Amino acid sequence: MSLMTLHLKVWRQAGPDQPGRFETYTLNNVNPHMSFLEMLDVLNEQLIKEGKEPVEYDNDCREGICGMCSLVINGIPHGQLPRTATCQLHMRHFNDGDTITIEPFRARAFPVVKDLVVDRSAFDRIIARGGYISVNTGSAPDANTIPVAKEKADAAMDAAECIGCGACVAACPNASAALFVGAKISQYILLPQGQPERPRRVLRMVAQMDEEKFGACSNHGECEAVCPKGISIINIARMRKDYRKAALGLL
Amino acid sequence: MATDITWKEGKPVDGKTPDGPIETRWQRHKDKLKVVSPANKRKFTIIVVGTGLAGASAAASLAELGYNVLSFCIQDSPRRAHSIAAQGGINAAKNYQNDNDSVWRLFYDTIKGGDFRARESNVYRLAQVSANIIDQCVAQGVPFAREYGGLLANRSFGGVLVSRTFYARGQTGQQLLLGAYGALMRQVDLGKAKIFPRREMLDLVVIDGKARGIVVRNLVNGNIESYAADAVVLCTGGYGNIYYLSTNAMNSNATAVWRCHKRGAYFGNPCFVQIHPTCIPVSGDYQSKLTLMSESLRNDGRVWVPKKKGDKRPPTEIPEEERDYYLERMYPTYGNLVPRDVASRAAKRMCDEGYGVGETGRAVYLDFSDAIRRLGEDYIRDKYGNLFEMYEKITGENPYKVPMRIYPAVHYVMGGLWVDYNLMSTIPGLFVLGEANFSDHGANRLGASALMQGLADGYFIIPYTMGDYLANTLPEKVDTDHPAFKDSEKEIQAYVDRLLSVNGKRTVREIHRELGLLMWDKVGMARNAQGLKEALEKIRQLREEFWTNVRVTGSSNTLNKYLEFAGRVADYLELAELMAIDAYHREESCGGHFREEYQTPEGEAQRNDEKFSYVAAWEYQGPQDPPVLHKEPLKFEYVKPTQRSYK
Amino acid sequence: MAVTGLIWVIFVMVHLVENLLLFAGPEPYNRYAHFLVSLGPLLWLAELILLVALVAHVTAAISLVLENRAARPQRYVKLRSKGEPSKRTFASMSMIFTGLTLLLFLIIHLKTFKYGPGIEQGYVQVIDGKQVRDLHRLVTETFHNPIYVIWYVFALVFLGFHVRHGFWSAFQSWGAAHPRYTPILYSLGALVGVALAVGFIFIPIWFYFFVGG
Repeated sequence: MSLMTLHLKVWRQAGPDQPGRFETYTLNNVNPHMSFLEMLDVLNEQLIKEGKEPVEYDNDCREGICGMCSLVINGIPHGQLPRTATCQLHMRHFNDGDTITIEPFRARAFPVVKDLVVDRSAFDRIIARGGYISVNTGSAPDANTIPVAKEKADAAMDAAECIGCGACVAACPNASAALFVGAKISQYILLPQGQPERPRRVLRMVAQMDEEKFGACSNHGECEAVCPKGISIINIARMRKDYRKAALGLL
Repeated sequence: MATDITWKEGKPVDGKTPDGPIETRWQRHKDKLKVVSPANKRKFTIIVVGTGLAGASAAASLAELGYNVLSFCIQDSPRRAHSIAAQGGINAAKNYQNDNDSVWRLFYDTIKGGDFRARESNVYRLAQVSANIIDQCVAQGVPFAREYGGLLANRSFGGVLVSRTFYARGQTGQQLLLGAYGALMRQVDLGKAKIFPRREMLDLVVIDGKARGIVVRNLVNGNIESYAADAVVLCTGGYGNIYYLSTNAMNSNATAVWRCHKRGAYFGNPCFVQIHPTCIPVSGDYQSKLTLMSESLRNDGRVWVPKKKGDKRPPTEIPEEERDYYLERMYPTYGNLVPRDVASRAAKRMCDEGYGVGETGRAVYLDFSDAIRRLGEDYIRDKYGNLFEMYEKITGENPYKVPMRIYPAVHYVMGGLWVDYNLMSTIPGLFVLGEANFSDHGANRLGASALMQGLADGYFIIPYTMGDYLANTLPEKVDTDHPAFKDSEKEIQAYVDRLLSVNGKRTVREIHRELGLLMWDKVGMARNAQGLKEALEKIRQLREEFWTNVRVTGSSNTLNKYLEFAGRVADYLELAELMAIDAYHREESCGGHFREEYQTPEGEAQRNDEKFSYVAAWEYQGPQDPPVLHKEPLKFEYVKPTQRSYK
Repeated sequence: MAVTGLIWVIFVMVHLVENLLLFAGPEPYNRYAHFLVSLGPLLWLAELILLVALVAHVTAAISLVLENRAARPQRYVKLRSKGEPSKRTFASMSMIFTGLTLLLFLIIHLKTFKYGPGIEQGYVQVIDGKQVRDLHRLVTETFHNPIYVIWYVFALVFLGFHVRHGFWSAFQSWGAAHPRYTPILYSLGALVGVALAVGFIFIPIWFYFFVGG
């Protein structure tokens, strides 16, 4: 495969309250085998050599599971490849001479920290309000005393696969966090261990989600399309049903 | 011309392991541990650094007990720690499969797998608490794989005769970590724990000989912040990234453990590194990390290289008789299923000799065509579908049609800060958990045991031993105005400013990559005295070059990832030296440590139990002075050391 | 939004069926219209339900839109749909626009027909010896105004889009989601949307071209 030349339109922003702007960089000799983040690494090497400030972008595991990488690439969070996080998007899916627009995830609940890095701590605060089963260490009965139907366990796992990257919020025309919250709530709706706290969990987590100033879900379903794990919006429906029942005291 | 490698020998260290019957050691030890009253627990503050399996489970469990916990992590959220990337599973001696598994068998497998360089007492305790971990995680709602009857499923894993591995698809680490993270966030909600994300620990504050706090850099605004506590628990993972390319996450680093080492914590077995045989090979200089492919692939894949050196034909055009299935040739009994270290070394040897394949010549084929012919493509898809998909995503090649290219990669470090049976380092009040400690895995870790150890340490060991330390010590209150904090803050600020002021010509990545290549060549899969001497010389040169020619742009008062990297690489350049010294001093081969001079006639690792049946605990003496070696002799009362053979 | 929206979907479906009586000629249609009016309190109750649902629907919609706008103060320079399985369509993205247009349509529609000329203005038909309002004539006359017909067609295309997203969305929001049945509901939403739009548009077009004024 031959090397490519790419033009990158990258969002640069010095801090949360500073105005941002696009900078355009040209990168020669991009190897199609590079991952998208490795391509940005190369850009940064170039910038440092020129004495300029490198571009900041969050990333960690680079194997699609930690959820730290983000980026809106040509208008799509994590780029155009299905069920793929930015770190596993490779440059062979781009063409020589392409101009690539790179923006941060944008939502009021995800303020920009710097350049392409955003603050997703709102997710932690939502989890703190009930994204767990309240058991203290040491008090658990033998694992096999709680049987779980395989279908239920599999469906719970489908929801539990969420990597917490926030692409759902980024892609949602309303910047809603319904898929993230719905996935966590669903996991516990589907498991027997989750039953005792079910009403309390959904009420508290949804209240926190609202407090964090995410938008409201209006069923565009774009979240499911951009989710690196392909988590279904059925999880949102599960959450809403539980919320409605819990709010009416019927759960 | 290489410099001589020197070190001094100090007094032996005592692991303070209990004696008597091994089955009851942990219970008898716990019975003797002091307990802090609930009213007093409220008065103690404990710092936990790192939020992986060990850190999150420790922080949650300590907060549940009533301690005030301050939890720090380097990522933007505690949920992102690299434990999340563990794929395969977690071992536990549950014997749910009725295949005669037991605490004893898990203990035995771990000791033997570790090539007889781990403490029997620790490993036995690990095997004992393994069953509680599964109970705990299931209660937390971790969606482990299930049978149709609703009970937990198991699978078998490398080098073991029983099915004792619990798993959640290929994302076991993720699910376990999210369980522990949830438990931690529950304590945050209850006000017992506080989280500090995007903080990098840069120093340990020791007052009156005890660990009393940490100094961190706030990665968002660059502020140097101090936090005081009554004890510090370090759960900061391994230092595999010293090799530049590894399966570790980009933020995994050695800085926290190294700074503690410089404050007096001994470093145990730094040269014990695990190299995993089946990773996706390097494709170019730009490469930032390596991705692991589960070793289960070797059950159905056959490893081969062309018989002709430098054969550039596509693999499908190389006829059967011109292929060298070298593992099957060299190890007729185990064939493609030899243990990790053996498979890794063989692949390296083939590539060193010029038989490597792919653009770079640093890869061997893992071929499924036989299995596909025999069992059908659907069977293979069902068993390995997600792995094949991941391979295709990264390489752009379809492994159903062309053989995979694989190469070994650094994956895990068995070495780490030395701890006693209570998981306390040589600095009182500094506890070290998970991969960060020198661990229970000896010289080689078995698959699916890292998750087990991290959670055992955090859920079931530190909650007991911490109480004993605090009850015995009753630390006096200190706050961050103490001169020790102020001095450290000043040193750190000066250090950060110095990194920014070198203003040389080479980037941090370039120097790191050069160090990584050097470590991989000389302190990697196979080591020898001459190479280690050369490595030491070059490490020193590179360190000199770093401090005179590195270039870090930007400022210290905003997010500046390359400034963070610079500090970490500076620490790697010191740790590398200790690894080389440790590798040089250990004149034997064991587990992941292979000294070319010490091998059996068949080319296998040859231990020297008479001279080296000990843990090497290294004490820091200053940048110019040789380190001091403290030995902790290992006693094997229950498992008799034997030579491994896979012919 | 879900419940109020579905109430209106049901009403609109019934309304379409009622309107098919237009083709049966003036007498049956006017008779039916008279029957409805003669229901008195029952009709008022139905109207009240529709009015409350409408107010709630519109209020919720506007506050939702404002909230959602505020949730992303800094807009993307470029944001597009990733495609399957996304349900982001022109219909889903234009709900507030199609909705407000429909509200305007509704007001005009009520003014034209419900509160339009009646017996006093000479729109009279005698059925069974009783004078009833000749609504059929009003409809016929109105649908010979090309401007009104164009506006009607335009607004009802919007109705189709609005229902296309609104119908299945109501079930999803209510929490009635299922891996097997939700896709069916989603397709059904398209069907209902198209059926309503085509059905309603058919009436003015037919009257314009084929029914003498």
